[in-house]
Amino acid sequence: MARVFVVDDEPDMVDLLATILKADGFEVDTDTDGRSALARLLAEPPDLVLLDLMMPDLDGMELLKLLRLDPKGSLVPVLVVSARTGHQDQLGTLQLGANAYICKPFSPRELVRQVRQLLAAHQGETSA
Amino acid sequence: MRRGRLQTRVARHIAFAVVVSLVLSALVLVVFRHRSVQRNMEQSARTYASLVSKPLARLAGFLGSSGRGILDQQVAALRELNQDVTRLEIVDVRGHIVLRAESGAVNVYGNGVDPPTITDGEILRAISRLESTAVRITEPDGTRVYRVVAPVVQQWGTHMYSLVGTFSYDRVDRQFRSSLWLSALIIMVGLGLTHWVSVTLAGGITRGVERLRTGVQRLREGDLNERVSVKSRDEIEELAEAFNAMADELQNTIHELREANRELETLDQTKADLVANVSHELKTPLTALRGYLELMSDGGLGAIPGEAQRAVMVCRKNVQRLSLRVEELVQLSHLERFTSLDAKREDIALGPLLESIVEAFRPRVEERGIDLVLRLNNYLRLLDANCEQIERVFLNILDNAVKFTPAGGSVLIVAEPHNHEGRDGIQVRVRDSGVGIPNAALVRIFDRFHQVDPSSRRRYGGMGLGLSLVRNIVEAHHGAVWVESQEGIGSTFFVWLPAVDETRRLPTEDRPSVRLDTDGADRHVVEEG
Repeated sequence: MARVFVVDDEPDMVDLLATILKADGFEVDTDTDGRSALARLLAEPPDLVLLDLMMPDLDGMELLKLLRLDPKGSLVPVLVVSARTGHQDQLGTLQLGANAYICKPFSPRELVRQVRQLLAAHQGETSA
Repeated sequence: MRRGRLQTRVARHIAFAVVVSLVLSALVLVVFRHRSVQRNMEQSARTYASLVSKPLARLAGFLGSSGRGILDQQVAALRELNQDVTRLEIVDVRGHIVLRAESGAVNVYGNGVDPPTITDGEILRAISRLESTAVRITEPDGTRVYRVVAPVVQQWGTHMYSLVGTFSYDRVDRQFRSSLWLSALIIMVGLGLTHWVSVTLAGGITRGVERLRTGVQRLREGDLNERVSVKSRDEIEELAEAFNAMADELQNTIHELREANRELETLDQTKADLVANVSHELKTPLTALRGYLELMSDGGLGAIPGEAQRAVMVCRKNVQRLSLRVEELVQLSHLERFTSLDAKREDIALGPLLESIVEAFRPRVEERGIDLVLRLNNYLRLLDANCEQIERVFLNILDNAVKFTPAGGSVLIVAEPHNHEGRDGIQVRVRDSGVGIPNAALVRIFDRFHQVDPSSRRRYGGMGLGLSLVRNIVEAHHGAVWVESQEGIGSTFFVWLPAVDETRRLPTEDRPSVRLDTDGADRHVVEEG
């Protein structure tokens, strides 16, 4: 079973994302702090990361940058979840190495679809 | 040649005045001098004649033809006394010439020889009356001479005599000619000097004007620090001071405007940041609400009793509405971005853009059983437009059409080349089978915050911002948007946008390629998302 890591400073959002994913049969790890999340991600890379952009201390952009700099985190698929809908924001995160982008507010079905799509693409890549 | 034209003109005027006065004064001088020289010559000729008459007559009377050697010598000596004398004659009262001394030869006409006589009437009259006279005469060969008659008031035998002296103007004329030549030379030299002097003088006068001209040019080219210094103590200096004052004011005004503009930009950025933060703060709780509500209604969190089921649906609907409001708030904050004239433009193909928009609507229309059809003409030209803005136009129109079309209805989109008021472009028709718009509301439908029926706001959602945004964007692209509608049958929205003008664009082909590259990347990413 695929393991998804959720990083968001809002406990309610973390809870929602975890609930949606667990309902769909994923194994879920969560963290509400950027720094500790990064440490855990690098210690034990998951199959996919759900990442919020606006976080205090270490924000999503920074976390993504640091994750991609480390060899262990460079290949993990990252799905960014953000309230920012501007093209520039989307472009920026994608340039930093995010694999996809989903805008708040999103529907649970859309989220699950995106997660499955990313995992399938990633598995196809690694097995090939 | 434009430069120094004023200087040339002023110099020409100065030179003209100088040359005219130079020539005039030279001519006057020459003429007056000539006349005085001539008067002098005639005066001395008369004096000479009266002085010489007596000794010469005496010589003729005493010597006769016997003492020729002495006569010749004496006559030559007398002739030495005047430079202009050409002929001296001693004549008796009848006009018979007794002695004639001419060009070195002296002839004496005695008795028995038929002597030559004087023929000129006036001279003869003077001779017969023994009076003095002087006449200017033109000889038969054309030379001008001065003839002087001086009576010899002394008697020898029966005859009385007069001296007739003929004097040439040759020396006077020679002097006149040489003065003419001299003055011509002076004028020539004067002309050269005049040129130099007038150009220098004119330069002095026009230097201030030239400085002013340069200053105005620099100012026009945008150098606001340009000031002009002219110290000529005349109108030009006043003009220069006025120019400087004007430049000061201009500089201050522009500085103030720039400051104000910078403040506005900061304010605008602050506003945009504020809206972004607020919308983020609103969106996050909305996301949590929406997610849980959808999970609940889908039964993901276990079965819900019948009554609660309805409550969840109501909650879901209201969260949906709240989300739309927030989305509109973000749109409103970006209104300037969507409508600003200098927004980034590029060549875009409308066909693929419409296809992707229709695809985005696919799930929503299928859910409600609406038939959504897109018909693209194969020969659509490119648009010079902002992709994001044009996408917003059709998103809003389509959103409107789908919103007002009841379940089972149809929405048809047709894009084809169309000439609008003489300009080539693309016309997109969006026809729905919705509730239609009353005629009275047709004109105001593109106004901001306008909705046909206040109650429809509750029914269909939205603040009426969408269509006003559509109009703003289309007009910023020099296009046109209008609507035709029949209540109960449906509405058709028309959007016409001008195509890229191939001929006009040719010179601007060399736009920076980097910009085109990033545009391409941008578009690529948008399609992927």
